[in-house]
Amino acid sequence: MTLTGEFFAFMSLALVAVIGGVLLLNLTNVIHMVVALVFTFVSIAGIYVLLSAEFLAVIQVMIYSGAITIMMLFGIMLTRHHGDEEEPKGGRLRKLVLLLGVLGFGAAVYFGIYNLDFQALPNTLHENNTEQIGVALYSQYIIPFELTSVILLAALVGAIVLARKDDEKEGDQE
Amino acid sequence: MVQDLLESSAGLMNFSIFFVLAVVLLFVILGFVTMAILAERKVLGFMQGRYGPAHVGGKWGLLQSVADVVKLLVKEDLIPKAADKPLFILAPVIAFAPSFMVMATIPLTDKLQFADLNVGFLYYIAISGLTIVGMLMAGWASNNKYSLLGGMRAAAQMISYEIPLVMSVLGIVLLSGSLNLNDIVETQQNSGWFILWQPIAFIVFFIAATAELNRVPFDLAEAENELVAGFHTEYSGFRWAMFMLAEYVYMFAMSALITLLFLGGWLPLPFLGFIPGAVWFALKFSVVVYILIWFRATFPRIRADQLMEFAWKVLLPVALGNIFLTALIKEFFLK
Repeated sequence: MTLTGEFFAFMSLALVAVIGGVLLLNLTNVIHMVVALVFTFVSIAGIYVLLSAEFLAVIQVMIYSGAITIMMLFGIMLTRHHGDEEEPKGGRLRKLVLLLGVLGFGAAVYFGIYNLDFQALPNTLHENNTEQIGVALYSQYIIPFELTSVILLAALVGAIVLARKDDEKEGDQE
Repeated sequence: MVQDLLESSAGLMNFSIFFVLAVVLLFVILGFVTMAILAERKVLGFMQGRYGPAHVGGKWGLLQSVADVVKLLVKEDLIPKAADKPLFILAPVIAFAPSFMVMATIPLTDKLQFADLNVGFLYYIAISGLTIVGMLMAGWASNNKYSLLGGMRAAAQMISYEIPLVMSVLGIVLLSGSLNLNDIVETQQNSGWFILWQPIAFIVFFIAATAELNRVPFDLAEAENELVAGFHTEYSGFRWAMFMLAEYVYMFAMSALITLLFLGGWLPLPFLGFIPGAVWFALKFSVVVYILIWFRATFPRIRADQLMEFAWKVLLPVALGNIFLTALIKEFFLK
């Protein structure tokens, strides 16, 4: 393995992503956690760019780092929560089982990917991938796509119904 | 030239070339920002019947902004005791860095550009969305009610207006068949500027862009008579300057984007092709910046309860209608 620019970029992005993930688990302040999550999302987008999936990378930044993170921040800021809650400590047995679980997962992933060999097929997926995604989405996968939009519409209607209900209650009180 | 550089293999040499180019761009933008602030004050002064800065640096006050920056640099750097210190320090960086990153894909002329990205327009929208996180963080970390309200307002407003902003450009994407800013400008070479083909989209885009920039009449996030200064109430010195810088760099980027999408970028008017593209770009760009300043001088601030309704009930349906209309026109007339 030679030290190419791509390797260097991948390593730094992966490092940021992993550090972000670890910080997300270890920080105690909820807002700090969300900020760590933003770093993870952005560096994953950077890895998509390295794989020449620019469209995916841009959508990743737009949806995850932009929209979802801000929704989470709004949710956290608008709800009341107490920062210094002691989490219930599990017993020794629980910790042992957890450790076994982590080790088992690590071993499974290690053996799963260690000898994995994808055939490097020459493909054209990296050229004009926005256009290719569009064509595939609106021809081959049109039914799943439409179903997704129906689900999203249902969620939207549900959100409006919930919000309306609150309004009426407040109106009754007045 | 940049194209060859982008395709060459990575190395220390290339890295330093890119680094130098980026630094040059940074200084060009800083130069623009100082001049833009001066221009804004001068034009505002002109429209309000006063002189504007007239003392530092000759009778046009050319060094006024430079003096202001020096003042901010030597100012005491205050961090409130109750603030969340790491986030308070990180927030201006997160707010500013994306504003400079979006400049990478904006072609200034057909030769003078950095990255020629396939998804150039979406890249702009995505990266500029990161600034919202910075603003919200600043508002929260200051531990101040005005800051928090300002940050919330800024975030809600920018997220809402991002949607009509993207939707209005979809008409252009339909007509030019690409998200690449270079291709969009090239299409305008054959068909004429998109402001002629997409006047509705232009109006929607301009309004949404003004809201994205947090400028009057959409400056509710820093409405001084309600919120002191919004999310940067607690900031002083150079951290505050970073927020201001981000604001004006976005103004640069957004004006450049409007020029590219609707006004044909570096394309000349007919019979005036002997004037170089860079000059054309600068002219159109200056007109857009001037209109933004003109807005600031002449519009009253929109009310908070009208803000969201306007985005969701007026701009978004109009933008969707425009997409529908464009699709019909493309299907029936341009095949």
